[in-house]
Amino acid sequence: MLGPDTAWYLVVAAFLFGIGALGVLIRRNPLIVLLSLELMLNGGNLALIAFSRHFHNGAGQIFGLTVMAVAASEVCVGLGLVVAINRKKLPLDVDRLSELRG
Amino acid sequence: MIVASAGNVVVWMVWLVAGFSCLASGVAVISFRNPFFSALALIGNLASLAVMYLLLNAEFVAAAQVLVYAGAVVVMFLFVIAYVGPRREEPWTGGPSWQTLGAVLAAGALLVEIVVAISLDAGHSLGHDGKVGPTFGSPAWIGRLFLVDHLLAFEITSVVLLIAAVGGVILGSHVRRVEPLTSEVAD
Amino acid sequence: MTGGAWLCLLAPLGGTIAILLGGNRLPRVAAGWIATSSVFVAFAGAVWAFIGVRGPQPTCGALGGCFYPPPGELTTAWTWLASGHFSVGLQLLVDPLSTVMMLIVSGVGGLIVLYSIGYMHGDPEERRYFAYIAFFVFSMLLLVEGGNLLMLLVGWGLVGLSSYLLIGFWHERPSAVQAAKKAFVMNAFGDATMALAFFILIAHTGSLSFESAFNVHLSSTTQSLVALGLLGGAAAKSAQIPLQTWLPDAMEGPTPVSALIHAATMVTAGVYLIARTHPIFEQARTVELIAAGIGALTLLVAGLIALVQTDIKRVIAYSTMSQIGYMFLGVGVGAYSSGMFHLMTHAFFKALLFMTAGLAIHALSGEQDIRKMRGLGKLMPFTKWCFLAGALALVGIPPFSGFFSKDSIIASAAALGTWYGWIFWLCGVAGALLTGLYTFRLWFLVFPGEPSAFVQEHHHKEGRFGEGHWTMLVPVGVLAVLATVGGWLQWAPLWHPFTNWLAPAASTLAAAAPTNTQEYYTSAATVIAGLVGIAIAWAIYSEERVKIPYAPFAQRVLENKFYFDALYDRLFYRPAAAIATDLRIDFEEPVILQTGPDLGETTLEAGGMVRRLQTGFLRTYVLFLAFGAAAVVLAFLIAK
Repeated sequence: MLGPDTAWYLVVAAFLFGIGALGVLIRRNPLIVLLSLELMLNGGNLALIAFSRHFHNGAGQIFGLTVMAVAASEVCVGLGLVVAINRKKLPLDVDRLSELRG
Repeated sequence: MIVASAGNVVVWMVWLVAGFSCLASGVAVISFRNPFFSALALIGNLASLAVMYLLLNAEFVAAAQVLVYAGAVVVMFLFVIAYVGPRREEPWTGGPSWQTLGAVLAAGALLVEIVVAISLDAGHSLGHDGKVGPTFGSPAWIGRLFLVDHLLAFEITSVVLLIAAVGGVILGSHVRRVEPLTSEVAD
Repeated sequence: MTGGAWLCLLAPLGGTIAILLGGNRLPRVAAGWIATSSVFVAFAGAVWAFIGVRGPQPTCGALGGCFYPPPGELTTAWTWLASGHFSVGLQLLVDPLSTVMMLIVSGVGGLIVLYSIGYMHGDPEERRYFAYIAFFVFSMLLLVEGGNLLMLLVGWGLVGLSSYLLIGFWHERPSAVQAAKKAFVMNAFGDATMALAFFILIAHTGSLSFESAFNVHLSSTTQSLVALGLLGGAAAKSAQIPLQTWLPDAMEGPTPVSALIHAATMVTAGVYLIARTHPIFEQARTVELIAAGIGALTLLVAGLIALVQTDIKRVIAYSTMSQIGYMFLGVGVGAYSSGMFHLMTHAFFKALLFMTAGLAIHALSGEQDIRKMRGLGKLMPFTKWCFLAGALALVGIPPFSGFFSKDSIIASAAALGTWYGWIFWLCGVAGALLTGLYTFRLWFLVFPGEPSAFVQEHHHKEGRFGEGHWTMLVPVGVLAVLATVGGWLQWAPLWHPFTNWLAPAASTLAAAAPTNTQEYYTSAATVIAGLVGIAIAWAIYSEERVKIPYAPFAQRVLENKFYFDALYDRLFYRPAAAIATDLRIDFEEPVILQTGPDLGETTLEAGGMVRRLQTGFLRTYVLFLAFGAAAVVLAFLIAK
């Protein structure tokens, strides 16, 4: 085949996942947290599709498409929450939404 | 790795550009203060990923990536960001001071571990893979897989989407008689 | 015939369940009738089984009555316990011995339950009473019908339980609760020794069936241990020395309970046990003779204590102990059929005595002190004559039933011919004198003469006949007839169908079979002794010609029941209480009681520390999640 090995794609996927995780962990704006989640999901997707070709198995691509659908659902609900928070005039800050503090 | 043919060089070049812009836009997504720019950076990220999918013989997924993500998800994001308005990130109000350090540590640890796992296998099972057939990744092939082999997963996914849509509508609708949420300001 | 046995066993259980399920929806009267009819159904089942056992071909002797060869039959419902090679089925044994016991238990039991309808009328917890008493009859039938040693032990434990429940029936009385506990603990001791004996048998034979237990040949020490364990159970259940102290206190229960459990059936279970397991005892002859010795000692001691008791039920209770002493003497020397025969006649006349006493107590609104009862006979003639029939049967005056059964036991002691045989014989005759004395002391104190002021003041007429409800009078009348004629079934020198009947299950040892001469002179001696006892009672208590001999020491000893209670108090209760107190102070309070609060405080402190991790910050939780994922990946890497 042409181009780099599967391993290279996986490294990119791992970095993407790590960047996304870092974003989820350090950003407090729920919108950016959701965007970072998208990065993590895309990292996972890239790995799935790389493996799909590596093993000549279509299931990886199917799984990737499913992940996309789930990501879309998650964004739908997540953005709904953001809209709700905004309507309640609450701060857009995950640290200040600490109703469940023990 | 033998860089022999001209085609191979071109593919490498494309891959390098796509990989670099992918990671750079990822970093941009998490580092802009304004979520509007973050969402725009995500578009770049998604586009470069679509290029990578093309390199991986996944044409249909690449198309879906552009359509679903760039076309629908990011548009939804932009809409909500515009709706919420340009709100700056709230000033630091508390939360453990070790959070950021811990976050870097955890993300770094995950990254290092995964890269180590990949590099352990890079020379062996991940090293070589042969040619794939001409239909690999084509829409017809994907359609047959989806509607014949993985029909149940397909249907379940559609139900999940439906539920999410209903949930989004309920969360966003105006007519609610629930007591207003009271925010407890973290001390 | 096995159908009869199952019917007999399950009818009272059905009655119990029906009453319990009915609960408060059931009218009070209905509970009594359900219990009574279920026990009479059991009696019908017992008759069915009895007819079945009788066998098809009678072989009749010249004068000895007909001899039927009755086969025993074992019926198994299902395998109840199976553990390796050891298995025990839910088995019933229908043989001559068990059918006799079934007839006695369900017959006398039915009469007493019928009597209870009148006696317990108006008690706020009548239903509970009848549920318990039907359950008792079931347990007792399980005991006598049990087809292996384990079933017997189950019945043995259940009668102890129902006895406990019924002694403590009036649970608002502290004394009743105490008495119930005492009975339970004493019986538990016996149950434990029995269980130990069974463990030995299981260890040696791997089975608890009668057959294997009776045919096994163990070393004489082991055999003696098994027999001693069984004897412990029998002595506890039958209130024999040294486990006798619970029975007088058990009189705290309602009088029909005393009649049924503590006179007619449960307390005689020890006698049944020895007769049932006689092959074990015969291989350990010394232990069997110890049983006889215990019986002889108990019959004297209980007879002496009965002389000074003032509570009408306690006098009869000590008399019961004494009569069971006779039965132990009988089965101990090897005259099983005589012991069982005395068990049967005793069930008749002792239940009769208790029930007439119950009539008197009822008529006097619960008064039990015989010193206040003089002259009651004038007001209650039926009770008086029925009591007299029971008293004469108890003393053994011909032709009343006790004469026929008690004399053959004493004659069997004479038949042994050894020195201890003659000691037993003397004890038996002396016991007959004591029996006459205490029985007629009771009689002369309570019934003849002009009614005392107390009686005139407190006596009230009840029922249509003035002496009680008809449900109370009918059983008393029936038992009076049985106490009179019940003994005619067998007069050992001339006819002995009862002995023949029991022969296949428990035939009398040759050494304990008295000759006719021995029977005659024993009878003469006991009747004379009984009459002498009656005469002394008459002289002291009726005519008051003779003053009670002044012997303060003897009186004190008797009134303290030979200090058995005090001895047990010193020997067991006080050391146990002292140890318990020490443990409470040195161990429970510092260690156990303190452990709880300490544990709680430590948990709270630890929880307080963990609580600080629950910041409520979503990102913190995600951080932990990320660390967790990193740890999992690391684990995979290391494993690889």
